This record gives sequence, C-alpha cells and structure tokens, in this order.
Amino acid sequence: MAFYIVKRLLWTVVLMVLISAITFLLFYVLPTADPAALRAGRSPSPETLALIREQLGLDRPLIEQFWSFLRDLFLHFDLGNSFVNNEPVRPTLLDRIPATLFLVFGAAIVWVVVGVTIGIVSAVFRGTIWDRILMGGALLAISAPVYWLGLIGLFLFSEDIGKFGLLPGSGAYQDADGVLGQAHALVMPWIVLSAAFAAVYARLLRANLLETLSEDYIRTARAKGLSERRVVLQHGLRSAGTPIVTVLGLDIGILFGGAILTETVFNIPGVGRYAFEAISRGDLATIQGTTVFLALGVALMSLLVDIIYAFLDPRVRY
Amino acid sequence: MTRSRLRFLLLAMLAISAFAFAACGGDDDEDSASSGTTSNEEAPVADVPEGKRGGKLLELAAGDVDYLDPGHSYYQFGFQTIYAMHKPLYSFSPTDAQKAQPDLADGDPVISPDKKTVTVKLKKGVKYAPPVGREVVAKDVKYAIERFFTINVGGQYTAYFNGIDGAPKENSKEFKTFPGIETPDDYTLVFKLTKPVGVSFAAALVMPVTSPVPEEYAKKFDEKNPSTYNTNVVASGPYMIENNAEGKLTGYVAGKSIKLIRNPNWDPKLDYKPAYLDEIEIRTNASDANVAARQVLSGSKMILDTNPPAQILPRLERQFKDQFTQVASGGYRYFPMNTTLPPFDDVNVRKAVLAIFDREAAVKARGGAFVGDIATHILPPDFPGFEEAGGLETDLDYMKNPRGDAAVAAKYMKAAGFDSGKYEGDEEVFIVTANVDPGKAQAEVAKAQLEKLGFKVRLRTVPQDAVYTEWCQVPSKKVNMCGSAGWFKDFADAESMLVPTFKGAEIRKDGGNNNLGQLNDPAVDKAMDAAALLEGDERNAAWGAIDKQIMGLAPVVPFIWDKTTLIWSKDVVGVGNPYNSLVDLTFTSIK
Amino acid sequence: MAPLLEVADLKVHFRTDDGVVQAVDGISYSVQPGQTLGIVGESGSGKSVSSMTVMGLTRSPKSDISGTVTFDGRDLLSASNEELRKVRGNDIAMIFQDPLSSLHPFYKIGKQLMEAVRTHRDVSKAQARDRAVEMLGLVGIPEPRRRIDSYPHEFSGGMRQRVMIAMALMNDPKLLIADEPTTALDVTVQAQILKLIKKLQTELGTAVVMITHDLGVVADVADEIAVMYAGRIVEHADKRTLFDAPRHPYTWGLLRSIPRLDTARDHVLVPIPGRPPSLITKPSGCAFNPRCVYATPESRTTDPVLLPTAPGSGHLVACTLSEEQRASTWKGIVGGEDPA
Repeated sequence: MAFYIVKRLLWTVVLMVLISAITFLLFYVLPTADPAALRAGRSPSPETLALIREQLGLDRPLIEQFWSFLRDLFLHFDLGNSFVNNEPVRPTLLDRIPATLFLVFGAAIVWVVVGVTIGIVSAVFRGTIWDRILMGGALLAISAPVYWLGLIGLFLFSEDIGKFGLLPGSGAYQDADGVLGQAHALVMPWIVLSAAFAAVYARLLRANLLETLSEDYIRTARAKGLSERRVVLQHGLRSAGTPIVTVLGLDIGILFGGAILTETVFNIPGVGRYAFEAISRGDLATIQGTTVFLALGVALMSLLVDIIYAFLDPRVRY
Repeated sequence: MTRSRLRFLLLAMLAISAFAFAACGGDDDEDSASSGTTSNEEAPVADVPEGKRGGKLLELAAGDVDYLDPGHSYYQFGFQTIYAMHKPLYSFSPTDAQKAQPDLADGDPVISPDKKTVTVKLKKGVKYAPPVGREVVAKDVKYAIERFFTINVGGQYTAYFNGIDGAPKENSKEFKTFPGIETPDDYTLVFKLTKPVGVSFAAALVMPVTSPVPEEYAKKFDEKNPSTYNTNVVASGPYMIENNAEGKLTGYVAGKSIKLIRNPNWDPKLDYKPAYLDEIEIRTNASDANVAARQVLSGSKMILDTNPPAQILPRLERQFKDQFTQVASGGYRYFPMNTTLPPFDDVNVRKAVLAIFDREAAVKARGGAFVGDIATHILPPDFPGFEEAGGLETDLDYMKNPRGDAAVAAKYMKAAGFDSGKYEGDEEVFIVTANVDPGKAQAEVAKAQLEKLGFKVRLRTVPQDAVYTEWCQVPSKKVNMCGSAGWFKDFADAESMLVPTFKGAEIRKDGGNNNLGQLNDPAVDKAMDAAALLEGDERNAAWGAIDKQIMGLAPVVPFIWDKTTLIWSKDVVGVGNPYNSLVDLTFTSIK
Repeated sequence: MAPLLEVADLKVHFRTDDGVVQAVDGISYSVQPGQTLGIVGESGSGKSVSSMTVMGLTRSPKSDISGTVTFDGRDLLSASNEELRKVRGNDIAMIFQDPLSSLHPFYKIGKQLMEAVRTHRDVSKAQARDRAVEMLGLVGIPEPRRRIDSYPHEFSGGMRQRVMIAMALMNDPKLLIADEPTTALDVTVQAQILKLIKKLQTELGTAVVMITHDLGVVADVADEIAVMYAGRIVEHADKRTLFDAPRHPYTWGLLRSIPRLDTARDHVLVPIPGRPPSLITKPSGCAFNPRCVYATPESRTTDPVLLPTAPGSGHLVACTLSEEQRASTWKGIVGGEDPA
C-alpha cells in the first residue's frame, strides 16, 4: 500500500511537470499573440517591445526560459507578475483560494448528501410515484445550466434583486463576517452549483444500488437476518457508493474549473473569478497561474481518489 | 486505475485549453484601452445637476483598475479613480467637454508664438493627502513626467510628451531629468519643446501623468522594477484611498475593492469639483454584468462601471428613465482598406466600396442604435472638428446613403475601369477579424458588401489579441481589410485622432503600424503639419478639413460612432463625464 | 415426531409485465429434525424459489404467496418481516451456489462472520470473533486466526464455500438450506464440500434442505428426495426407493442423464429432450407431457395429482400412467431398452 501511494505520488509529480510544460508551451511558445506586445499596451514601439522581452526573459533560449519557469514555480511557487497591473500573482491567488475551496467543498457536501439520499430513496422505492418524481426532478436539474440556474435563483430568491427575498444574493460573500456569515452567503451558490451534480449522483447511486441489491451477497446479507436498513445502507451502499467516490474526486477537480460561472454570477472572490477576469483582460501571467493551480487541484484530487479507492476496494490494492 | 488516470489527463488538457482559447476571446476593443470622449449635448457647456453633500456610493465594476499610479494607468476605468484622487494640471469637467479646466494649474497654459514653449502656473496651497501632507510644488509635476519615461513606471502614452527637450523617445531603464522641464519657482512650470508642437502638447496636459508625485516619498518605490508606487500612491485631489501611516494603500485590494475616502488636506476653494460624496467604494469584482446591472437599478446608492448588458438597454427608456445617461465614447470604428495593394490601391474602387456599404447593417451587427450612431466621416460627434468635417451630414455621394447605394457604387467601378460596374479582376480581398462577436459579425457584413461588388473575399478569423498585433498592424501580412478596427482618442484634440491613423509618416513597415490603410498622401501629411501649429477655432476648422480631405481619398469605411450607457440607482444623481465616458465620481451625489 | 419444517400447498406467483409466473404451484413436503431432504430439478423448476420463500426472501409487492410453512411449530408465511428476520440466519441458515459472489467483496470474512452472530445474539466483538475462528476451523480453513482478516477474493472457490458454510452455522441453526452448494466448484472440491456438510450435519444435528439439479449430489447426503418440475413436486420418495424404483418419467430422465459408478462404462448418457416449459403459460394436462416419450392422450388433458404408488406408501408420484405401466417401463429401461 505504501509502495502504491509512493508510486502514485511520483506519477502526480510527473504529471505536474507535464502540465506546467504544456501551460508554458501554450502561453509562451504558442501564444495567440506576442506576450510582450500584450503586456506593452497600446501601439508600442519595437524598442519598448525589446525591453519588455528582456524584462520577461523572452529573449533567452526556450529551454532556459522553461527551466526558470519551473524553478520559480516549484521552488518558490512564484507565478510571476500580472501583465495588467504588475501585482504578483501568487498572493492574490492565495487570497482567492479559500473562497473557492469553501464554495467547492461546501457544494460537494451538499450534493453528496442530497444526491445520495435521493438515490437511496429512489432505489428503495423504485417504481413508485416518489421514485418517478425524484428522478424527473433530477433530469430537470441535470438539464439546467449553472449560469441560468444562478440567475433564476438570484432573480427569484435573493434579498436584493429577488422576487422573494429569502437568501443573501450576489456579492454577499464579500460582506459576510466570519465563517458562519460566509456559509450563509454561500447557501444559494451551493444549491445552484450542486443541483446538477446532486441529480447526477442520485441517478448514479440509484442505478448502482439497484444493481447491487440484486447481487448474491445482498441475498446472503438478508439470509443472515440483517435488517433491511442495514442491508441497504451498509452492505448495499458500501458497494454502490464506492464508484461515487471515484467520480466525486474528479468532479471536485472539474468544479474548480466550473467555479468560474458560479463565482461570476454570485460575485464570490475566488480563483475562478480571478481566472475569468484575467481571461477577459488577456492577462497571461494570471491565466497561467490560475491554470496551474486548477490543474494542481485536479491532479491532487485524482491522487486522493486513487488512494481512497485503494482503501475502499480491497481488490485493487497492489 | 489506468482509467481514472486517463480521464484525469484529458480533464487537465481540457482545462488548460479552455483557458487558452478563452484567453483569446478577450475584449473586443483593442483601443478601448484608452480614455476620452466628448459630450453628446448640443451646447458646449452642459447643465449638471446640483447635488447634496454626504453619503456613501457603491460602484459595481466587472474588473479591477489597470493601475492607480497616474504615471502608469492607461484605461478609462483606472482614469475614473485617478481623476477623483489626483489633481492633474488640467482636467475636464462634465460641464464642458470642449475646454479643459485648470485643475492643479492656475489658468490656461501659455503657448509661445513659436509653439516651442508652454508655460503653466500652479495654484498655491494645494496639499497632498497624508502621510505626505506637504504643499504641491512645480518640481512634483516635473518628477511625475520624468518618472513616466522609465521602464519601472512604464508610462504608456509617452508619444504625447516626448517632444519635451531631453525626453527619450522610448521609456528608459535609467531615471533621467529633462532639461526641457524648468521650474523657475514652486508655482511655475516651463516646458521646452524640440519641435513646434506646443498646441497639441498643451492639450495633452489633461492626461493623468501631469498629476504631481512627491519625489522624496515616491523615489524608494520607483527604484523597484516594477515600481511599487502603484500601491503606495499619494493623493492630491478630493479623495484618497485609505492608507496607513507609511502610505501603503489599505483600501485597495487587487481584484476586490477600492475604498475612496475624503482627502482631509483637500481644499474645495482650490478645485472646481464639488465632491459631494463622503465615501466611494468600488467593488471591482461585480463579475456578472446582468446581475450587477439589476442590483444597481433596483438597489440603492449604487452605480455601474460602464455599459449594462444589451438586453437591459431597452428597459431603461421604459422603466428607469431617470437612472441612466448616454455619453459619446469619443471614437470611431471603421474598416480600413489597404491602399498599397490591389484592388484597393485604386481610389475609385475604394469609393465604390464606401458607396455600396450598408453601414446600418454593420451598426446592427454591433448591437444597433443604442450602442452608437452611424458614422458619415471620421471625427466623432461634438468633438473638436466634428462640425467642420460636416457634422452628421456629408457632401460625398458615396457616403450619403447609410444603407448603401448600388448606382453610385457602379459609377465608381466604371470610373475604375470596370465597365460592368462590378469588379472583374481576379484579386482576392483578404479580411482579418476577431473570432468572436461583434468583430466577427461586423466583418461578415463587410464581406457581404464586397461580394455585392463582385469581389471574391477570403475572411480569416483569428483570436482577438492577434487581430491587431499579428495581422492588421503588420504590413507584411498583406491584409486588404481589417474586420475589427477602431480608434478612440485620449483627449479632446483632433490631431491625436487623425495623425496616428492616417499620416503617411506614421506608417511602420515592421509592425505596430496604426495607419492601417497605409494612406500615404503628401497633401494630407502637409495639411496635418500645418494644422498642428494652429489654435482655437482655426485649429478645429483645419482638422475638420483634413477629415474631409481624408474621406475624399476613401481609405476607410467609417461606420459607427460609439456611445456608452451609464446607469445608477434611483436615489443617485449620476453625472457622466463625456471626457472619460464614465460616471464622474466628483460630481455624482446621493439624493 | 413433529416435523421441523412442514410446507403445505405452497404457491408462489410473481406478477410481471409478461404475465403471472407460477414459480411454485402448490407443493408440500416436510423435513424432520436432523434429516436431509434433497430437492432436485432443472433450473426454473421452482426449487430455489420455494426454499427462498421459506426464508421469506421472496416477499415483495409483486409476489403472491399462499399455503402454509410451519417451522418448529410456527407459521412463517404469516409471520411479520421482523419475526422472519429473527429466524433467518438464526434458526434457518442458507448457503448459495456461487461462494464468491455470495460474500461481500469489500468486507473481511471475519467481519461478515461476526456480523452473522452479532445480528442475533448479544455477544461482544471478541466473543463473536472467537466463534468465527472456531467455525472457520471447524469447516477446515487452515490458520483460521490469521485468515479471518482476509478478503473473500483471497480465498479459493472451495475455501470460500467453506467460509459460507461456517457463516451459515455461526448460530447453530436447526435447518440449513443449501442451494446448489457445489455447482460452481470443480468435481474434487464438490466431494469435499458434500463430505463436510454431511459431517457437520452428523456432528451438529442440523436438518438440511439440499437443492440441486444433480441427482448425483443428493445420492450421498439425502434421506429423502423430492423431484420438482415446473413448480410442482412430481415424485417424492426416500432415497433408496427413488434410485431403485423411480416411477416418474422425468425422474427417469434425470437418472439417465447422470454418470453413475455402478453402470457400465459404455452406458450412454441420455439428456432429456426439449426445454422446461414457460411458467407463465404451462402446457395443459401434465406439464411434462411435451417432453415425455411416454405421454398418452390422457396426459395431455389431465393434470395428474401427486399420489402414493400404493395405499399407505410414502412414495408419491404425479403421473397419468398406471403403476403397472410405470413399473414395467422402468424395468425395461434398467434392462437396457431404449424408450420408444
């Protein structure tokens, strides 16, 4: 097991270097426009461009640039300075990370709890009217785009611009005091962000659980005289829930990227929002920094999932 | 576990490429980088409502300012804050878009008859905000302009000031003092120019760079590369950003918020700005324009940074009549035609293109009448020279019909030697535009117009960032027409509008070229040189005539003069400053 | 002595979208304490469903169950789910065909064994663990103290079935239902498992219902054998009688399709032609008649009743042929005559 984890860790490091290399290539070697020109502002002269190239080190050999990029990134976690306002990317990024983590993990908890509950109820009461209502609702939630759902949520339920002011609206996170206040401000974003995921998980779990409940070992569990609650919630869920853990890790990874929309609609100062601003202003250094961070998030979640999975399913340990 | 690993790699690639592609789809306007506009009011002096003193205003903005350093900022949103917290030599009041008001300066600039010396007197008693606190003197402006030319500070519009004797052509690594800026006493600045460009130089004294910077305080920040004065900037105007005893800005959180409070050392008697508000918070991450616009319109004590989303515009007239204004954006958008390459090397062919062109369709592609007026020439409405260039009318038969005129087009095609009235040659017209709307949509309109004349058109869409820097500004790429070009002025002077884009001497063959049509007409250049020396009405008349002269050569299809829509909450008395096309924080008040 | 388990006129019908499946259609049998009943039949004959019904495992909104199941003096069919749950795994235990899929893949076997006892008895974890080790040793798992922390996939097929048996016997059940316990195992292991079951039965005095499609399997262990076809018992006799004087053509077919040590090497194994009938639309008359080479016009119209071969005999057969016809036909078959 320890060997497996070490192996997996090393692989993650390799991945991170690869991702950094790809990011570097995309942003410095194959950019859509000359990074120096992007940074220089309006109608720069060739002399200004040359100076900026020198400043950014763009005149050095490619391999040397890549090396210093890697060195800065891994040794100092230095992501360079914003092309737009020259502020270093790292402190801003670090400042933005908690909001994104709070948003993403909060939403993950909401959707796992809601999705799993609905999945179990639907599976246990399969074929009944409840099953149909829940699965119909799930289908609706899956088809609703996050952005649209966010706007609808705000226009209906936010305290400032909603028809029925129930929950804090866009921008409330920033004004909130303390973790509780922030959590309160995040209630609507969590719901919006987790709706589709909860629906997917409910459907996934329902299908898995129905399949599992027809397994021989569930029959064994019943034959042993275990209560139905225990059969479903322990023996059934143990098997049906394991694949959920796999997708959960990856989905949280995806969500770091998907947070852009939610953070935009709800005006939450997170990494996604930071990336969005950078994109809309062509701030390559910041885009690159946030990309590396988000890729790191995905890679770490993937690592975590593989390790947890190895713990959960004894058959894959090696 | 190979499965999840593979899935992960795919995801990572997707994430990266999504950013990479998204990165290309940035802002539509390369040129909205700049500032400036004129009033859309008929009279040069506009009525601005009186306000009540006090209150706190919240501005919702989609993004951060570029810089707070007056020597570095070059975006209109940055200018909005800068004009509220600094006193440049001159600035524009929303009450008069044509003539700049002396701000730090005491009276109008005095230009010598040879146009090579400009003298500016300063007000006495203007003081810096804490922690500097001392009186502003002439050498502070001298330092401000000198530091502007360093790499560390990174001044971006040096071309307006490099006529000063001793100023380098480009930003230099070392800080240099300029013999061309003299401070005979604490309240007098004398600019010595190497060329007789005093008039346009004086007009440029409204730029934020003329705001004073105390050298003894700023030096330590300016020695860093890049300069950290940006987050330690000291105010001289009615407002300041909250800071600590060292001057470090505590009220500025990059990408989050800017908190402006009153500058306790500001003397209202030394300023034309009423500065009604006690406090202004600018939230620079009000991300979703749709949500933010609604929050402003239905909320209290709020303004929006700039244009609300298009779908809200029609509701403004109906529902929020007193909560918005429109100001001209002070620029024009156009389709430049490459005058050095066939088929557009023939003036008659170009005139035929102007004649056939349905400019109304191109305006529609950008969002319709709410976003701007159909252009009939180059200088935008209420801009110096606009009336002289023909105002909203035109004498040119090929510009008369905004929907296009096939008969006139045919006439010019015949004059160009195509007896059928259609193009018969085999030259292909190569158009480059952005791969996102509205750049893409408007270029498609252009393509359709050219095809009406029988041209074969090749339309290439590239990422927004690349349209200018990689294609349109690079003559060797042999682009026949640029599909998304625009030019917005920095200050109210026609010279800065017409010279970079139409003067033959401005063509840069090796890239960075802004004379996109590569118009190289000795008569035009000569007229520009002469007009540069003129002042007042004479000057406006001369530049208006140059506009006409250029339109006679038909190097571009101008099609829209942009307008900006500004909105605020019902309890706010919003005032738009046409100079900067944004809400003027020093004139806006709360009911 | 009162029977331990008495099943009377048990019917189990499932309502499906295609129609009502008459999986079990009126069967009766009884098992004495410590005795072994073999229930033999092809898949789909209702043998598994009937025993699952005894355990209450076929209860669902879509099943109709009638008749009586009396276990140890209690009526299980009318018992509540909770009462029934207390019987399951405690008084009646069950083992299944595929020992790998029947054990939960994610739990250590120790946990699964301990769970069986802790569900029904208030014992400490340590006690439960000791009991599990004891039972694993009893069923012949080497190093039970170490192996108790292994996962099912770490055992071979035969060992897994031993684990299943150990788990079934954790609570000293009075009745063990073994549903095809050897089918998924290879031949040598089959014999070991059967021997184990027999040994345990002798030692522990547990009654066994052995369900199989293979008469060979019950030949050794069963006291009585019931042959099921299409949801009915078609022949029921003590083991000796059933092997020596079978009276139902279907039983003949089963006997002719198994290899036997006491027949000549060149003896031809004859499979039963055709396939079991649909349990939704059964053939009229005797359900076996479409596959029966001795079918008469009468057997196509008359549904035969399970009757003693002679008054007072414990040998029961459901066939429209007369006892004389059956006796002489069997004699012919044993003599090497090919059926017409």
